[in-house]
Amino acid sequence: MTEIIVVTSGKGGVGKTTTSASMACGLARRGKRVAVIDFDIGLRNLDLIMGCERRVVYDFVNVINGDCTLKQALIKDKRLETLHVLAASQTRDKDALTEDGVRRVLDELIADAFDYIICDSPAGIEKGAHLAMYFADRAVVVVNPEISSVRDSDRILGLLASKTHRSANGNGGVKEHLLLTRYNPRRVANGEMLSVEDVKEILGLDVIGVVPESPDVLAASNAGVPVILSDTSDAAAAYQDAVARLLGEELPLRFLDEPKRGFFARMFGG
Amino acid sequence: MTTQRAEAAPGPAIDIRFGQVGLIQVLIWTTDPGAILDELTGRVATAPKFFQRTAVSLDLGPLGREPSVQEMQGVLDAVRRAGMCPVGLASGAAVAQGLSEPLDLPLLPPFREFHPPAEAGARARRETPRPQPQPEDGTLAQLHPHPVRSGQRVYARGRDLVVTAMVGAGAELIADGCVHVYGALRGRAVAGARGETGARVFCQDFHAELVSIAGVFRVFETLPPELAGKPVQAWLDGDALRFERLGA
Repeated sequence: MTEIIVVTSGKGGVGKTTTSASMACGLARRGKRVAVIDFDIGLRNLDLIMGCERRVVYDFVNVINGDCTLKQALIKDKRLETLHVLAASQTRDKDALTEDGVRRVLDELIADAFDYIICDSPAGIEKGAHLAMYFADRAVVVVNPEISSVRDSDRILGLLASKTHRSANGNGGVKEHLLLTRYNPRRVANGEMLSVEDVKEILGLDVIGVVPESPDVLAASNAGVPVILSDTSDAAAAYQDAVARLLGEELPLRFLDEPKRGFFARMFGG
Repeated sequence: MTTQRAEAAPGPAIDIRFGQVGLIQVLIWTTDPGAILDELTGRVATAPKFFQRTAVSLDLGPLGREPSVQEMQGVLDAVRRAGMCPVGLASGAAVAQGLSEPLDLPLLPPFREFHPPAEAGARARRETPRPQPQPEDGTLAQLHPHPVRSGQRVYARGRDLVVTAMVGAGAELIADGCVHVYGALRGRAVAGARGETGARVFCQDFHAELVSIAGVFRVFETLPPELAGKPVQAWLDGDALRFERLGA
């Protein structure tokens, strides 16, 4: 049974691709067969974070257009043999994606008995983001603890509830999870950032993980090694926890010092 | 895109659907463009985001005469300069009939006709009471048990709207009757959308951006501390919106 997971956010630069790469690696490390697809046509990034940018010959759009087979376009990860990457096209624009084309690629991956398909959504709510979420069974909504990111995530959650294959066909809807990234407990305590509790309250959803702000994330991106693989990092441990929770394990949240008073209480004196 | 779709499946090029949209009515009392611009810019400034690029229909009923095309062009120019987009003339006003074609604006079917005030000279802000909106399928309220997220809009036509989950900032609840929110209300609540002045807004956790009843609205740039996060009801008292903590 293949599960399609979209990693999305609305807002750009919050850590969708970093999260897609780390979640895909984390699932593959647990022996799952995983394909991770970059839906950001024209702004190809996932292959850089995965460290396979020099091995991209064919891409997602080539497969949709029938220029090559899916097997030719899937890049096998050198570290984890059950992990495969389908890169975005750097030279095309987002109109190259069609609902029918995306459906055919996903169907072929499902027929090939992949356990998980991770769809790395582009920012925004346009076509690329729509198609990335359209066929999803589950959604990981990446949020930074600041109000504009939270607002955009609320918008995305609204679209997940109304503009997906599952919502349209009454299959119980897409299962939604929040993942907080760039979490800085000190700045939360100073009232400069929203706390986990604030974000949970505003969006009315539980969190699947809280990834602390860490210089290891940028270093890992530059090195082309998903941060989850750098074993000494807090961010890696947080992503491992998130993967475990995605698989149904119950773990307490780590790397957050509970602030004494919430953001709203300080703002409004409530 | 169109070529791709045509290749994929020979479907229809367009779909035509009947849909209802809320439309702000601008009642025209004078054709003096300066006076109109002054008053509109003053009102738009109180809620710039609400009015910028908002579609409006012009109701010429209050004028009581058919203005010339030239006069109307001045009026349209003033309304546009205030940031609104006139999209039609309210056809309830008989005086608008001859202007539709020269101004290239459609006549919109009336849903809230203007009735001149009884006392001459007095500017009535409120229309004569309309009959109670009737529920259309026998139920008294429309229940929405899911969160209403930013950018979503829920409309309960001819009845109350009951939301049993949170309403995000930037979401819109519209009901011809009352709006009830059993959760946090961070978005906009519009009750009495078709002019029912007895409609009210109730919520359990008040953080609303805007509350409107029968067209009278208030924008909350900052929340009054006595209402923020509290159970609150809002109602219309004459021309004024009133807010009160529930159960206080």
